Amino acid sequence: MASQFLRQTLTKTKPSTIIRRFSTAAAVASPTGYEEPTGVTMKGVKISGRPLYLDMQATTPVDPRVLDSMLPFYLSRYGNPHSRTHLYGWESETAVETARAQVAALIGASPKEIVFTSGATESNNISVKGVMHFYKEKKRHVITTQTEHKCVLDSCRHLQQEGFEVTYLPVGSDGLIDLDRLRKEIRPDTGLVSIMAVNNEIGVVQPLEEIGKICKEFNVPFHTDAAQALGKIKVDVEKWNVSLMSLSGHKIYGPKGVGALYMRRRPRIRVEPQMNGGGQERGIRSGTVPTPLVVGMGAACELAMKEMEYDEKRIKGLQERLLNGIREKIDGVVVNGSMDRRYVGNLNLSFAYVEGESLLMGLKEVAVSSGSACTSASLEPSYVLRALGVDEDMAHTSIRFGIGRFTTEEEIDKAVELTVKQVEKLREMSPLYEMVKEGIDIKQIQWAQH
Amino acid sequence: MAASGVSAPTRTEVLHLYRSLLRVARQFCDYNIREYTKRRTVDAIRDNKNLTDPSQLAAAFFDGKAQLEVAKRQALVYSLYAPKVKSIMDIIPS
Repeated sequence: MASQFLRQTLTKTKPSTIIRRFSTAAAVASPTGYEEPTGVTMKGVKISGRPLYLDMQATTPVDPRVLDSMLPFYLSRYGNPHSRTHLYGWESETAVETARAQVAALIGASPKEIVFTSGATESNNISVKGVMHFYKEKKRHVITTQTEHKCVLDSCRHLQQEGFEVTYLPVGSDGLIDLDRLRKEIRPDTGLVSIMAVNNEIGVVQPLEEIGKICKEFNVPFHTDAAQALGKIKVDVEKWNVSLMSLSGHKIYGPKGVGALYMRRRPRIRVEPQMNGGGQERGIRSGTVPTPLVVGMGAACELAMKEMEYDEKRIKGLQERLLNGIREKIDGVVVNGSMDRRYVGNLNLSFAYVEGESLLMGLKEVAVSSGSACTSASLEPSYVLRALGVDEDMAHTSIRFGIGRFTTEEEIDKAVELTVKQVEKLREMSPLYEMVKEGIDIKQIQWAQH
Repeated sequence: MAASGVSAPTRTEVLHLYRSLLRVARQFCDYNIREYTKRRTVDAIRDNKNLTDPSQLAAAFFDGKAQLEVAKRQALVYSLYAPKVKSIMDIIPS
């Protein structure tokens, strides 16, 4: 068949080791210098194959159906959607408007309320800084939580430097905020309440309906970062009474580099734009709308609407399998965050008497993360776990397992096997664990200082 | 004779679609996509097994055929860019 022949021709390995006799140019290194047929070597670690992926909160693979919808816009339909004079522009614009309607349908909004941005970080920036800058005469106070995403916390810090006041609500040990505390903190000059729907590190779902009711009562705009919630739990802007919502493309099996911002029209919320320019996207976000990415996000949203029930049922079963599988073999496993109000695809576990870095070093065949991808560069334990009141040593050994649409039972079983093996190996070597097994309470020990 | 548009698919046609989808699933070089396509096909065919309304059957069949076209194209695209190293789940017989 033609396609077989095409595939064979194109996948022949490139002759990158040909010696060019009369050229003084340096030999070109093969683009994937770390991949050999026998395995992968990177950063001093050698594994026999690509790791199994259990980090869905960091990003998700692009669904083939989404890729299929995006490719024509890279190949032949490459027009700028803002070109009004020719077919390329018209077809691009139609595609963008279709995608807008698909995103709006998933959250229960009207297409006119959706603005496409470069991601949830940009949408969060527009929401927090844009709203406060617009209403800066009358409103000087922002309420948010201690477990928000770094971009919201950083925007709030920026506002603090400009002279606004920010209240960071504490969370309980289950990760949920106290609604009475929220009610008390709202002041007449509160301009925004920003609380994320599903936390990316611990997977806890906040009581958004109740928060929306409180905000409506006091007539305060409510912004929620729904990047992890979109397509996973039922999102309804009317029921939650949100004025602003940040959405991300690459968390719902869509492409990276695209996101959206929902802005309510009744009652209208106004923002000061962060990107100035030609007035695209109703002046909120100037710049050419990236048609292929936006089409991909729209297709991903439509897919999520169809597949949400099927995926949720499946992922719930996989989460139980993972948790029970680990708990059967080892003890001292703590789930961080509430078990009832949680998104099923996120499991954040702490293993007692085990050091986190060494646990991750041994789990190289499983792609998991500790803390969140944004903060994994720094050495300090995750601020989210600290806000939950988790002890330092437990916070250091936390691992976040992310289960998604494409995860299989075999992958879960293998992850359980590898984790249990590594934890047991580390505990065997640990003198602290020996003491615990003998019945000594570690916290009562008076460590002799030399 | 009323021209009623698309008619419900026959049992043979549905079985042919099912077998084609499974065959195309086997051609994906990515472990996760391959397993997902197989699983989703089986579950979708099973869920639609008890439909009786001919227009619903026709719609489901049409949707299935469209998905088959998407899967064929994507199996080719994925194979063009297949990584040299396979997923660990494909290497170690677990």
